[in-house]
Amino acid sequence: MARRRLRGPALAATLALVLAAGQAAACDRPQGWTGGARIAGKLWTAWWRSEPAPIPVGAHFSIRFHLCGPPVGRVRVRGWMPDHRHGMNYRPAVTLNGLSGTAEGLLFHMPGRWQLILDVRGAAGREKLIAETVPE
Amino acid sequence: MKRRRTGASVAAGLSGIPIAFCLLVGLGVLSGIAAAAALDFTAEEKRRILRHGPWPPASRPDPSNRVSGQPAAITFGRALFFDPRLSISGAVSCATCHSPDRAWTDGLARSRGHRTVDRNAPSLFNLRFNRWFGWDGAQDSLWAQNLRPLLDAREMGVGPDGAARLVRSDRRLSCGYRRAFGEAPGADDARIFVDLGKALAAFLEIQVTGRTPFDDFRDALARDDAAGRTRYPAAAVRGLRLFVGRGNCFFCHFGPAFTNGEFADAGVPHFVEPGRVDPGRHGGIRKLRKSPYTLLGRFNDDAERSTAAKTRYVDLRQSNFGEFRVPGLRNVALTAPYMHAGSLATLADVAHHYSTIDEERLHAGGERILRRLDLSAGEQADLVAFLETLTEKEPLHEPVRKTGTALCP
Repeated sequence: MARRRLRGPALAATLALVLAAGQAAACDRPQGWTGGARIAGKLWTAWWRSEPAPIPVGAHFSIRFHLCGPPVGRVRVRGWMPDHRHGMNYRPAVTLNGLSGTAEGLLFHMPGRWQLILDVRGAAGREKLIAETVPE
Repeated sequence: MKRRRTGASVAAGLSGIPIAFCLLVGLGVLSGIAAAAALDFTAEEKRRILRHGPWPPASRPDPSNRVSGQPAAITFGRALFFDPRLSISGAVSCATCHSPDRAWTDGLARSRGHRTVDRNAPSLFNLRFNRWFGWDGAQDSLWAQNLRPLLDAREMGVGPDGAARLVRSDRRLSCGYRRAFGEAPGADDARIFVDLGKALAAFLEIQVTGRTPFDDFRDALARDDAAGRTRYPAAAVRGLRLFVGRGNCFFCHFGPAFTNGEFADAGVPHFVEPGRVDPGRHGGIRKLRKSPYTLLGRFNDDAERSTAAKTRYVDLRQSNFGEFRVPGLRNVALTAPYMHAGSLATLADVAHHYSTIDEERLHAGGERILRRLDLSAGEQADLVAFLETLTEKEPLHEPVRKTGTALCP
């Protein structure tokens, strides 16, 4: 009896997640944005932009992001330099408001190719959205 | 039908011209070609080289220091810098370890105030462009860095109460304080103490190095001035190419001051003595987080905390063990010995170190920046030739750079 009562909401939630995940691919640039870049994942798609833009070498910057997809529980933002196999010396603080957020305190301390990584977690799963970028 | 001239016929055709003269001309042409080839940088090399200028860069007063850039504070800071009464013994001043006659160093591997300390006294050039201060970055402002030796009994150790007592009781210093800060020294020892750090910072901020042969070359490259570029020594060109290329030096010694302002394990020993290790950056971040003298604390004069992001977001990681601040390289030929504990006596030793570095000894945690370079003797000499061009031809040391303002009658 109890199992039967749970089946309906669980199915509905699963369907909602699947539908939301399906929306991840169709993710328009957030209203009011000019510029920015898009990262498409399986569960989520992100739009992000830096402040200042372009990203400078050796100076703090922040990013704004907006996600399309199922509800998000937590987002971590970090930088990674794949050629050198090291990250940043700073741990950014992320503020999340629904599917939008900001990360402050990033700093790319070397010139060259970096990855900006949005590590997204929610009931639907976990996904790393990775953007390649070269600070100027 | 024309015949191609053979070497013999060319020689025959030059009969009458002294052979030695021909050889000299030939060698000159060949070396000119070599120099031209050496100046033929790839677009990426050129881009990397241009990132090391222009010099000097624009600068602004430090918002965390209300007297930054103010002549009266610079004059007061200068007086404090050379005053040995700011030590518990009355015998040690800032200039004991940072002598203007030695490019603001003492020439020792590990410096000595009252006792020998664990690290080398770095030069004081271009401090205003630093992000972190001290070999371990335990301080996040120049004024906070200036307080550290005043607190350390091995160095000066006068402490907040001793420093404040001296300033209140000495007519000349009291007058200098009033002129710099617009009020007489009050009863708050901690505030006076921090203000001394800020006056010292105002003085040290003006110690900016002048232009160098590299800057002339870099600017000539930027404006495609071939004649300007050829004045740069060929060995330095080859060394520069190594610096921005195979040497990977460029990643850490980046930007106009030749430092990215962060920290690295350079593969030098960090045992201070048997059984005692200098934790480097790991210890520095831990000290920073306990310090009352940071940009997040009450002594920051900038209510907006506009320069405090580094302090707020800095991350403490295990890989910080054995990391030390990447020093700037301007005037580097004047500041031997090198590395955080002065373990390398000359620039040639530094080039040899990176050429033969033992990758197994690095605490790199999987990082792949430092590699054994296996440079030939000639390449090492080229790298040194390049580094020497980062030094001013005629360095202007203090007191030439003082303001000229009298402290007090």
